[in-house]
Amino acid sequence: MIKIELLNQLEQLAKLAEVIETFGEENNLPMNVVFDINLSLDELVTNIILYGYNDKNTHKIEVILEKEGNNIEITLIDDGQEFDPTKKEKPNLDLEVEDKGIGGLGIHFVKTKMDEIKYKREENKNILTLKKIIN
Amino acid sequence: MTINVEKKDKYSIISIAGRLDASTSGEFEEQLVKKLDEGEVDIVINFADLDYISSSGLRVLLVGAKKIKAANKKMVLAGLKKHIYEVFEIAGFTPIFEIVDSIANL
Repeated sequence: MIKIELLNQLEQLAKLAEVIETFGEENNLPMNVVFDINLSLDELVTNIILYGYNDKNTHKIEVILEKEGNNIEITLIDDGQEFDPTKKEKPNLDLEVEDKGIGGLGIHFVKTKMDEIKYKREENKNILTLKKIIN
Repeated sequence: MTINVEKKDKYSIISIAGRLDASTSGEFEEQLVKKLDEGEVDIVINFADLDYISSSGLRVLLVGAKKIKAANKKMVLAGLKKHIYEVFEIAGFTPIFEIVDSIANL
């Protein structure tokens, strides 16, 4: 298990990526699984940093990575505004270039790459658990 | 992330390496927009050494695609690794770009 605390600064994304790489190496995870975890957490943490807070204070974002048999379980905890990504609608992917946007793409990636996503709000914190099954 | 810009034949080639995420996409956007605003040539973005892209990176490419279409020029993406191409597919971005295997195939 790896547990880390990030600050709400975009520069921390590099640290997040390093930790996921290390977790992948320690558990001999396939490259594509490491990439999928990386993409999902990067998008979610970016959202929290950019849109999660009403103030300009420093906040901590907690990430826990665990391998149980063929499952990777990921927990993401933040004290930002209430936000349930499981309720976010799928963006329209068929628009022409002029009308295309990237709103909602990050969460669409997470839903595509992860096998399970659960959200709960407890003690003013967002707690998101993700599961990735290694095939 | 590192960015390298060179001129080759009728193209400006922008090579990006490393990770294109929310912390690095601003720098890429600056370089790309600068080249687009010069507006003289077609643009190739060389992905051969790019290991990672997130929706923040796609946003910059979309900015580029919109600008280049308005300017009636061409923007080609080259050398995307398999897992990066997949991100384009999931995002529905493959139909809006001209994508080639490598800059050797321009």
